[in-house]
Amino acid sequence: MNDIELSEAQKAKSFWYADWAFPIIVGIMSAGVFTGTYMYIKYGVGAFNEVAIVALLKAGLNGGSFGAAAAFGASFLFARILEGSLVGILDLGGSILTGLGIGVPAILLSVGLTAPLKNFPLALLTGAILGLIVGGIIVLIRKYTINQSNSTFGADVMMGAGNASGRFLGPLLILSAATASIPIGIGATLGALLFYKWEKPITGGAILGAMILGAFFPV
Amino acid sequence: MVVFIILLKSLVVGGLVGFAAGAGAARMFHSPTTQGLGAFRTMGEMNACEGDAASHFSFGLGFFFNAWASAVAAGAFTQDVTHRVIPNWAAATLLLKNKKLAASVHNPKRMAIMGMIIGMIVVAFLNTTAAAIPKSLQVTAVAVLVPAANTLITIIMPILFWLAAIDAGKRTGFWGTLFGGIAQLIMGNAVPGVVLGILIGKGVDDQGWTRITKIIMASAILLFILSGFFRGFDIQLIHSFKLSVSDWLNYLHRLVTVK
Repeated sequence: MNDIELSEAQKAKSFWYADWAFPIIVGIMSAGVFTGTYMYIKYGVGAFNEVAIVALLKAGLNGGSFGAAAAFGASFLFARILEGSLVGILDLGGSILTGLGIGVPAILLSVGLTAPLKNFPLALLTGAILGLIVGGIIVLIRKYTINQSNSTFGADVMMGAGNASGRFLGPLLILSAATASIPIGIGATLGALLFYKWEKPITGGAILGAMILGAFFPV
Repeated sequence: MVVFIILLKSLVVGGLVGFAAGAGAARMFHSPTTQGLGAFRTMGEMNACEGDAASHFSFGLGFFFNAWASAVAAGAFTQDVTHRVIPNWAAATLLLKNKKLAASVHNPKRMAIMGMIIGMIVVAFLNTTAAAIPKSLQVTAVAVLVPAANTLITIIMPILFWLAAIDAGKRTGFWGTLFGGIAQLIMGNAVPGVVLGILIGKGVDDQGWTRITKIIMASAILLFILSGFFRGFDIQLIHSFKLSVSDWLNYLHRLVTVK
């Protein structure tokens, strides 16, 4: 790869810039993310998503309904596919991490298709195929719409709301810790304070503080 | 040895995700001619680092700690691993060798290869350390996290998206409220509906009722009808208005049984 900027014609041919390569890149990503969900189900670690969203899947795994996870994931996937093809950037979080990583597994599990989420190679394969399909749809939509679209379809609005909701988790954790027990509440508060002083997101500090105090004074 | 198996699988998963995250992030800088994979916030944050390796690294590090805490506590990496840690650390490493953005952060091939290496290390580290933590420690974390997460997803997120839709203009407010209410009824969460409302409202604001916005509208309605049917919302709706369900509808539901 040369260091100079490529011309548009060269970009169309090169794997690294071409539209035809996009489904492959999405396929690789989805294979990893879907298998991450497999690892979460099997070993309890490794899901590529926010705690709040993984909790939706966990509700289904613990014997509840997969409905919330399925609807949430599938709708996000749908909205992001439309938006992604129109604005030129596919939102990884909504489409793959939440859609293919949480929504599709929830749908598969709810209809009793457990094999793709119980077998490592099968999980990789299923993820790759799903990603190829999603990537392919986006390239197809792009072919028909690229020259007509001059709208971001409110992506900036959604982005702002998405970022704002992430900020709520820190304070919410402290509220929840304080309800769990007094020592855990104290731990979460101190942990959050420490992380705030270090200019890190207070969410991490609140969880770690709660865990440390919770180890000595279990609920 | 379970931890060893987790390590091996993590290397595979991390390599795949890292490769795609690196390539997708670099491609974002060439959008809209090249379809990117990432997020607007990722691109904004990477631009804010202004090609400084130290900024990229420390930005990723802050979110790495957060991801680590979340992985140890609940087994969830947070979305920041793919959005922030891998792209920014790959960028930082490449910038150490070459300060030119075109040859480092904006180059999909180099970002993909560096992303793969970073992804393998990060995912393997997160998974093995989280798996090694005694289960008793996770009990507290789950007891604290699950209620907080539930509040976030059932109340905070719908309200934030809803207010954003209302603030973004008359049309987004109208469609966001309509679809948000329907989504809450059918799917049990208003966020997907409000998101669709913003999508349609902003689309029509910017370009009017064109073929694209009409297709989006039709797909949104189809999505609501299908998910309403498969979740049995139609039957519940008829029941709650104290009406009887006609035989053909019951028959249709028996044809396609979904748990």
